[in-house]
Amino acid sequence: MEQQNKAHRAVRKKSQKVATQNNGQNPKAFAVAAPRRLERQARRTHDVNEKRFHVPMVDRTPEEPPPVIVAVVGPPGTGKTTLIKSLVRRYTKHTLSDIRGPVTVVSGKRRRLTFIECANDMNSMIDIGKIADLVLLMIDGNFGFEMETMEFLNILAPHGFPRILGIATHLDLFKSPASLRASKKRLKHRLWTEVYKGAKLFYLSGVINGRYPDREILNLARFISVMKFRPLKWRNEHSYLLADRIVDITHPAEIERNSKIDRKITIYGYVHGTPLPALNARVHVPGIGDLTISDIERLPDPCPTPYQEKKDVEEGKIKRRKRLDDRLKVIYAPMSDVGGVLIDKDAVYIDIGHRSFVEGEEKGVGERLVVGLQNAKTTLGEGAVGIRLFSGAEALNEINPEDDEDDDIHKGNSGRKERRHGRAITGQSYGGDSDVGSDDEGDDEDEDYDDVDAEEVAYSKSMASRLVDNDEGGAEEFEFADSDSDLADYDDVDDFDVDSGDLRWKSNLADRALKDYKRRKWDIGKLLYLDHISPEDVIMRWKHEQLSSTVADGEEEDIEDDASDSENEDRDNGDDFFKKRDNSSILPVDAEVIDRSIPVYDNEGLKDKWSGSSPAFAAVKGRFMTRQSDENDEINSSDFDSNGDEVFGKFEDLETGQTITGSSAEEEKQDSVSGEEEEEQKEMSYDKVREANARKKEKLRLRFEEEEGQEDDGLGDDDPEKKLYDTWHDAQKAKIAKQLEINKAEFDEMDSATRERVEGYRAGHYVRIVIDNIPCEFIETLDPRFPVIIGSLLASEDRLGFLQVRIKRHRWHKKILKSNDPLIFSLGWRRFQSIPIYTTSDSRTRNRMLKYTPEHLHCTGTFYGPLSAPNTGFCAVQSVANGSASGAFRIAATGIVLDVDQSVQIVKKLKLVGTPYKIFKNTAFIQGMFNSALEVAKFEGATIKTVSGIRGQIKRALSKPEGHYRATFEDKILMSDIVILRAWYPIQPRKLYNPVTSLLLNEKTEWQGMRLTGELRHEKNLPVPQLKDSEYTTIERSVRRFNPLRVPKTIRSELPFKSQIAMMNPQKKESYLQKRAVVLGGTEKKKRDMMQKVMTLRNEQVRKRQEKKQERKTAYQKKIADNEEKRKERERKDKREYFQRQGKKRSAGEPGGGGGKRHRGDDE
Amino acid sequence: MVAPPVLYSGHVDFRMRLVLATLSGRAIKIDRIRSDDLEPGLKDYEVSFLRLLEAITNGSVIEISYTGTTVIYKPGLIVNGNVTHNCPLSRAVGYFLEPVLLLAPFGKSALSLTLQGVTSNGVDLGVDTIRTALFPIYNKFGIMRQELRVIKRGAPPLGGGEVSVFLPHVVLQPITLHAAVKTPSVSKIRGVAYSTRVSPASVNRIIEGARGVLSITGCETFIYSDVARGEESGKSPGFGVSLVAEARSGWCYTAESVGGAGETPEDVGERAARALLEEVALGGMVCRSQVKSLIVLMVVGKEDVGRVLIGKGVIDEGFVRLLRDIKTMWGTEVRIKEQDTLDEEDEQAEGLDEYVVSIKGVGFVNSSKKIA
Repeated sequence: MEQQNKAHRAVRKKSQKVATQNNGQNPKAFAVAAPRRLERQARRTHDVNEKRFHVPMVDRTPEEPPPVIVAVVGPPGTGKTTLIKSLVRRYTKHTLSDIRGPVTVVSGKRRRLTFIECANDMNSMIDIGKIADLVLLMIDGNFGFEMETMEFLNILAPHGFPRILGIATHLDLFKSPASLRASKKRLKHRLWTEVYKGAKLFYLSGVINGRYPDREILNLARFISVMKFRPLKWRNEHSYLLADRIVDITHPAEIERNSKIDRKITIYGYVHGTPLPALNARVHVPGIGDLTISDIERLPDPCPTPYQEKKDVEEGKIKRRKRLDDRLKVIYAPMSDVGGVLIDKDAVYIDIGHRSFVEGEEKGVGERLVVGLQNAKTTLGEGAVGIRLFSGAEALNEINPEDDEDDDIHKGNSGRKERRHGRAITGQSYGGDSDVGSDDEGDDEDEDYDDVDAEEVAYSKSMASRLVDNDEGGAEEFEFADSDSDLADYDDVDDFDVDSGDLRWKSNLADRALKDYKRRKWDIGKLLYLDHISPEDVIMRWKHEQLSSTVADGEEEDIEDDASDSENEDRDNGDDFFKKRDNSSILPVDAEVIDRSIPVYDNEGLKDKWSGSSPAFAAVKGRFMTRQSDENDEINSSDFDSNGDEVFGKFEDLETGQTITGSSAEEEKQDSVSGEEEEEQKEMSYDKVREANARKKEKLRLRFEEEEGQEDDGLGDDDPEKKLYDTWHDAQKAKIAKQLEINKAEFDEMDSATRERVEGYRAGHYVRIVIDNIPCEFIETLDPRFPVIIGSLLASEDRLGFLQVRIKRHRWHKKILKSNDPLIFSLGWRRFQSIPIYTTSDSRTRNRMLKYTPEHLHCTGTFYGPLSAPNTGFCAVQSVANGSASGAFRIAATGIVLDVDQSVQIVKKLKLVGTPYKIFKNTAFIQGMFNSALEVAKFEGATIKTVSGIRGQIKRALSKPEGHYRATFEDKILMSDIVILRAWYPIQPRKLYNPVTSLLLNEKTEWQGMRLTGELRHEKNLPVPQLKDSEYTTIERSVRRFNPLRVPKTIRSELPFKSQIAMMNPQKKESYLQKRAVVLGGTEKKKRDMMQKVMTLRNEQVRKRQEKKQERKTAYQKKIADNEEKRKERERKDKREYFQRQGKKRSAGEPGGGGGKRHRGDDE
Repeated sequence: MVAPPVLYSGHVDFRMRLVLATLSGRAIKIDRIRSDDLEPGLKDYEVSFLRLLEAITNGSVIEISYTGTTVIYKPGLIVNGNVTHNCPLSRAVGYFLEPVLLLAPFGKSALSLTLQGVTSNGVDLGVDTIRTALFPIYNKFGIMRQELRVIKRGAPPLGGGEVSVFLPHVVLQPITLHAAVKTPSVSKIRGVAYSTRVSPASVNRIIEGARGVLSITGCETFIYSDVARGEESGKSPGFGVSLVAEARSGWCYTAESVGGAGETPEDVGERAARALLEEVALGGMVCRSQVKSLIVLMVVGKEDVGRVLIGKGVIDEGFVRLLRDIKTMWGTEVRIKEQDTLDEEDEQAEGLDEYVVSIKGVGFVNSSKKIA
């Protein structure tokens, strides 16, 4: 297909107005002609500019960013797989037949893309929504938006919107161009309302050769390759990883023994987000739960970008490739079996294309032998027979295969593979049986606790015996630790140490070590974290080194002496220091350390040191600003100083950081630089000088920056000269950029190992993560179509507690939500079921429970779950199982976290009701509210109220009828009044936290949690329990007749004039009408008679007419009813047809995507 | 689900470990607390500190074994509020206040704390030192507006003092600190000399003594006198002085001394002054009594690198222990690198042995802070 471009349109030349303005002589002539319009324009410009601003956010994407995760999402049958295939084909010339799991391809010089197809279930949609950088939203153009699309968009919203690119497919099925155009427009506008106005929607026409047309894919690929991404808050605070390869590395023998054993697995993938901590990182794997990473390691990038590769070649890390075999490198999809060769840390896997070593299908003797061996139930040497190393030798069967020490023996001379861990008194995590393990380690290290470089100590033959001894020790420990806590496990180590016979290898260890020690240059950075060296030793070793390097400098030694008085005794006797330490040195007695905050000073020493003109003071003299220099900051103060020494301290203007050099002292100093030094400098190569200069410059720059940063933020409140940035926004951005620069500079200085320990594994690294104790179901039911995500947890997210959230039922969700009905939340990385209680705040005084969520309002919800930082968004669904989906919109609610706490205060309104049985003036005796006097006593003084609104107070319980009490009111109440006591009853949300463990199921789309009460009732066919009290009854109200108000005469006479009741006395004399008698006669009578006749006729006529009309009306109504019936019938039929069509569409797509080759057009 | 507790042994750094646990939210178990001592188990002040911790947090679980040698602490959330705490007389209120200062900014609301007991004893930071030397450190991290009022001065052994502390500023996370280039110069020396139930003249004698020693610096020195009278005084007689050497940039060094038995006020003043000179001589941005708070505040920060200059003498066993505890708690390490001085022109840094400590924050966020 030929690309068709629009005809070129020349750029319109800008008019020459600018020039004329400059020429103008009369400034008034160019005054604003239309000030209102100008103002409006200016306002609009500002509006537009303001809209562009976002809250400045730190972009922690490293120089070599991780692959962009491109998720392809859409309902079944919209062509997701086809799209991935087309795009992969476009980037790599590789046709994937079967896409399983993520596919990483190199898309540009510095960009890689990881494609992942989103399966069609709630869990996958939620997980993918949290990690995708770019979402390709597939829409069946011929059909329109479907529920899944809308659901997915609403999942994205609370978790931070990634970039979205709509792609409409199946557009070739439109018959007329007009309807195609209309449909495109409709789709586009609908997408705009959901995403944002102007969101891009791509159109893909039909499928050719199982792929979309090349030209359209090329356009799409170009669009993707230039796309920019904004950091999202959650991902900017957490590191995460999309697993692209998962291997079970549990020992096969253990699985053989117990197939349900917890597995040890390795997970591979690119780190995204923030750096992943190197040590014991806590992570959450959605679908499994919270786990601890036991080991993490960086691997060479399996899919490096050309840029990185070039850099590596330049740095000599890798050899230049002779030949570009693009089929080999530019795609990485280990789950989809591309390429065939996988290189791991400890193995190379070659996909030979067919299975071998299958039982019953062996080829050749070797294979048969191996398969036979695989069937063996026990490993070699196990069992009663034992293993015989030499013919005729004794069979060995005592070796305990589980003992770690044996490994050491077997490895023999190969030496130690790992650094021994110290007898760590700090920070061993314990739990279950790890106590035992640590004990074993403990006494192992007791042996060579000071053996820092064991390689140098020749292993004598006594080594073996030592190891055996050690075993015994280990065994002892084992029992001990098993029986009790590990309080005193070091004691018997001492005995064992003394008892063990052959310690010759140790005898001159101290001497040798001392030699080492003397020539060793200790680096504090290294010593710091060697746990087997106690902190005291660390300081001693380090400072000793410092000392020996500056022996000549007596003064410094002085300082040393004073600063570390406790170390003085130990300093010279190195032997002492290599002796085994007893318990007391590990755990200092109270006299030694009492957790004091004020350091200990050697007072006598200080007295000598800081007296008068001591040399010590000369050294720090420069650190004090004298009063004079303080006052005369700006004045060159060289003239008022008699002492040449003092000059040094005075010239620095600390405010500005400017150093006034060129003073006499400086010159003096320069003069004093002897000639030899200058010569030396000449000898120094230019490179070195340059280097030194560069370092100095950098240093000065840093100092400048720091001071600048401290003094002001570049905004400068009033001083216009200081004002570096126009807006706050600019200043913030500059600040962030500066911090990032500092980070980079700081990390670049470190070697990679240190950097990994300090910073962690940063985004873009390809890592291999080992996780212990994963349920076996995960591996057994592993299906690469469902994404496995590892999300790191911050320290505060590892706790459970109550979360108070602002929640709103989604307006498209059919039902309102009920308090105490379980709901599945997607919060942070986690998906879990919990039981929320909805509340509302009663004028900020209390949280009152609501039975249901309000119809169109936000309300507060409280549930038990893992704590997340306030402001984290979440969404909630009632069920994640595809089986229970009714086709309605599934996102039940969305919201954000407001507050976290360990306890909550929620109350429920409780009304206690009573009735009066005796009423005095304002006092009444109330019955039926309480059952005992004790209960009344508890509510003494409480306010009560009648239905009619008369307020009162509970006074005192009555002694006789139990539970009755006396109350007073502000007015006399009636016997028919009901008295109400309004109380608040505290309730606690239920503590349910049930992680959705969908990845452990065989049917991953069918996770079932706790069900709703209603569902259970429906299933068990139970009626909804109804309290008798709560039933509705018809209220019969008899009409009350009130007697007229009669005011007694005496009172009436007393009333003031204003309140006088106006009463009329009955008339006494007869009125005119009463007096007069009327008699009918004459014409009057005739007229009356006539009129009566006429009216009778008329009435008869009307009656007849009415009858006729009624007849017609009934006929007409019958007709109407018939029509209505017909209309309903037609509607029913339409509906049936619609749903039949819908049903066909659903059933065509296999569950979980892979609609394959199907066109909607075929159905019709 | 929940991570297993971190195991520590011994009573060393008891307060700091509890503080770190509370900040990180990880449970800890401390065992073998003075297990070999004649009086095994927790001391009264440690139990008292646990009580205080329980008071300012919500949902903390503290289990102390029967012998008192093992403590399991599962931290709750810091809620603050109004708390009054009676400190045992074995330690000064500074022992309790110092860790609370680290926790309070990361709570749910403001903390208004009243502490009763000994106000300064020469072992724990005195209240004046906390106010004048520790608060500026917090200000560097954007934690402001702390107030500390000494209502009554209480000297050991009977105490009877009362301090009211108001910490209103709740922050999400501290600001990343950058102070690694130049050792600050002391621009002025300030101090507070106080006495309670002794002759007011002793305060002047303290000031005299201190000024005598400090006169060689030529620095502007002013020591305030605070004589507690009547209601303000505690139950025991005592006097002492707290000195602060302040730099213009806000950094400061501090030293204090408290009069012991048979000591003259002049001796006390001189002792404090010499200690102050000693602290200044160690170099770095902070002195030894401030460094732990500083390091903790740097660790609980954004995921950015902060740098600070620390004198060599300031790095001691306690410092190493703190860094190790931080590693076990958060898994992060810090880097200590020798400061390469700016050769000739940097005359004032001459003779100073300083190290740049760069710390990457753990991405800490005060999750108990409410929104809206």
